[in-house]
Amino acid sequence: MSMDHEAVIGLEIHVQLNCETKMFCRCPSRPGDEPNRNTCPICLWLPGNLPRFNREALEQAILASLALDCEIQKESAFDQKVYYYPDLPKGYQLSQFHMPLAMNGHLNVTDANGARKTIRIRKVHMEEDVARLVHENEGRTPVSLVDFNRAGMPLVEIVTEPDLRNSGDAMEFLRCLIRQIRYSGSSECSMEQGTMRVDANVSIRPAGSDQFNTKVEIKNMNSIRSVGDAIAYEIERQKECLVDGEPIVLHTRLWDPEKRVTSPMRGKFEGPCVPDPSVPRIVIESEYLDEVRTRLPEMPEQKAQRFVKHYGLTYEDAATMCSERSVSEYFEAVADCGVSSRLAAQWIAGQVLPLLKECDETVSTSRLTPDRLAGLLKMLERDEINSSAAKEILGKLRGSDAPLKVIVESGGFRQVSEADQLEAVVDRVLEENPSAVENFRKGASKALGFLMGQAMQATRGKANPRLLKEIMTRKLG
Amino acid sequence: MHSEIFCHIDTRPGSNIARGALVGKRAAVQACISVQGWPTEAGSAALRGFVAVEDATVVERLRDAGASLVGNTRSCELGFGLLGDGAGKAVAGGHVDVALMTDTMGEARAAAASAGVFGFKPSYGQVSRFGLVGLVPSMDCCSILAKRLGDIEDVFTAIRGGDDRDPSLPDPAPPSLSPSAGPGRRPLSAGVVAQCLHGLSSIERAAFEAALSNLERVGIAVREIPFDKYEFFPVVHNVIGSVEASSSCGKFDGVRYGHRAAGSRNWNEMYLRSRAESFGLPLKAYLFQGACFQFEQYAVFEKACRIRSELVGQSRRLHGEVDVVVSPARRAASDFGRANTVGQLYEAFSLTLPANVTGQPVLTLPGLVTCEGGDLGLQLMGAPFGDELLLGIAGRILQELEGTG
Repeated sequence: MSMDHEAVIGLEIHVQLNCETKMFCRCPSRPGDEPNRNTCPICLWLPGNLPRFNREALEQAILASLALDCEIQKESAFDQKVYYYPDLPKGYQLSQFHMPLAMNGHLNVTDANGARKTIRIRKVHMEEDVARLVHENEGRTPVSLVDFNRAGMPLVEIVTEPDLRNSGDAMEFLRCLIRQIRYSGSSECSMEQGTMRVDANVSIRPAGSDQFNTKVEIKNMNSIRSVGDAIAYEIERQKECLVDGEPIVLHTRLWDPEKRVTSPMRGKFEGPCVPDPSVPRIVIESEYLDEVRTRLPEMPEQKAQRFVKHYGLTYEDAATMCSERSVSEYFEAVADCGVSSRLAAQWIAGQVLPLLKECDETVSTSRLTPDRLAGLLKMLERDEINSSAAKEILGKLRGSDAPLKVIVESGGFRQVSEADQLEAVVDRVLEENPSAVENFRKGASKALGFLMGQAMQATRGKANPRLLKEIMTRKLG
Repeated sequence: MHSEIFCHIDTRPGSNIARGALVGKRAAVQACISVQGWPTEAGSAALRGFVAVEDATVVERLRDAGASLVGNTRSCELGFGLLGDGAGKAVAGGHVDVALMTDTMGEARAAAASAGVFGFKPSYGQVSRFGLVGLVPSMDCCSILAKRLGDIEDVFTAIRGGDDRDPSLPDPAPPSLSPSAGPGRRPLSAGVVAQCLHGLSSIERAAFEAALSNLERVGIAVREIPFDKYEFFPVVHNVIGSVEASSSCGKFDGVRYGHRAAGSRNWNEMYLRSRAESFGLPLKAYLFQGACFQFEQYAVFEKACRIRSELVGQSRRLHGEVDVVVSPARRAASDFGRANTVGQLYEAFSLTLPANVTGQPVLTLPGLVTCEGGDLGLQLMGAPFGDELLLGIAGRILQELEGTG
């Protein structure tokens, strides 16, 4: 395969904003409800109705734009993107084509080789979502049903510059973008749940050239993984076209997750965009913008740096703690209870998050509150329990409201650290297992493990392992 | 007679409030204006059988002021033109005291002039468009026809002002009508646009000059004023109007309401056939033209928007120099009942459409510009949002003309 070609990739990302209501009416934004429940004369676009733009959508769109370091434009406006399709109740979609809300942002990503890259964001604009079509058969007649619950849902479209060069970078970029926007609280950004859709524009060119060749748009990816797979497939497909001397034409292709290929769907359609005469122009005063800006939290990158400086975490641990805003806040709450921050980070990453994921909970909904976890980790630090007991208690702290003390006492989890108690246990174990003692003394170090296991069992797992080993090795001499 | 004028007459006894400026007034609204529970077909097969689910804001406010709603008057398709329109006849024939109808290129003023009654198109943004089944969102304006100027003022006071269901209204709402907004006793001036004067036939010109002499007789200074690019008004209206119409008629696609052609094999065919059956010829041509600008000639549309801004600016400057700009409301030869192509419509409405492009308020006075071709109507155009002043000036002119007999 020709190694002297590189791919040029740009992404168009649609993100559904977290809003109580739709963008141009007051219908609840719950597209998953029973079909056509959340509709009104405006979003059904009955004659005589006018769009009433919703400030909440503007605020969330500004937050998402700020999370990508964009410049918010003082003036923006809505246009009508004209096309005819049954999912579009009025023959045009309200979108900001000529005067977008925000421009010139960027996002830094680290590629597979650890190199930092800046991916530029061309623009972020607001638009309304369209209705959902459901295709069924009534007897032998194919019918298309229209569900207007989604019509008018508030979205932003994020358009990158063609700064990505391979599928790995595209996936990493999306992960960073999701993290940034989720931090801002403006969207859930879940491809699986349909609150984020990604289209990719892919073209190839001789490595080192700065020309832009005909691009192909790919749609219908339903996870970050499939975005990567689809881009990788498309790059190879285009390279083969090049080798075979087939021209590449501008068109749209669909990713087929079953067959893992892209296949042509249609020619790329660009409808006209006409300024909408009814939605007033949006003028953003600097006071208002400053006020919205104060609602933007500390962003993940700065936060991770602070965690390194302030809590002495390694950068990797800090980055893990900052992967989600709620997790970072949880970590901080635990660390601020006076627990060793590294221990807190290790336990949150290694134990708490996997456990919660398994139980379908989040740090904000679980009974495993920061102070309960901090109490548990303090006991571990003070050697009052050992780590296997701690893991067991963790499960009980999540599963009930019982106070930590009660769980520890009633479960008899307290670690046995009294030397004379442990001496007695060791004596008994050595007495009961003469052959293992014999083996050990012949040099079979495995036997020590067996004897330790026996002793741990005898204390029902509550022995302080460090002390026990000390006594055991001393007695085995 | 009724069936020619009305397409729906309310037979239920009205339960109107007994207070308000319009108590005892009978009102009709054009079939483009929504009245809850009434057929609101807007004269189009696209909306055959469509029943409005809510009152238009103007209807709600008429009722709140005590008016009783008699019925729906016939309308040209989506208010585009005057073919078979009933509002003027309803007022002239005494069936109602006031009638509301939309004015996109001058239909309300032309109807008033033809019927020999008063017609008032408020400034764009004075009256809510909520519930108007319109065609050109940036030009459509709910207008008032009546035999008495006092009724026009009362209805305007009742229906005007802010409405959160129409976000295109300016915020905050313009000040409300008050007697002090009138011209007082100061000397008044009227301007005549030179190009407008030159475009009149000798018969029209003679009738119009007679009206101007009458104005001068009661002390109004009349002078000719230049207006750069005045001849662009029709083409600017035509390009922008057709583009907006093409978008706003997109909702008549047969998917959720309105007319759907039977027996289509797929939805593209459904669209094409439903829309082919839905619209009449002049509107079809207009929509097709608008789509052509949208899809193929977008630069022309952009240029029209730029010229529109210039024309609006020119109008503003004129109103710094004169109180009102005057012209006839229609040509002697214009037969609105026969205008049935886009070209004929623009020809027929050439004298009224500038105010739709600029959004200015215009009052048409009956009985002042008359010739063998009938009443041509005298248009008084005021400054944007100078509605009160304009109505005040008209009141003073009528008083003084009466006084001098």
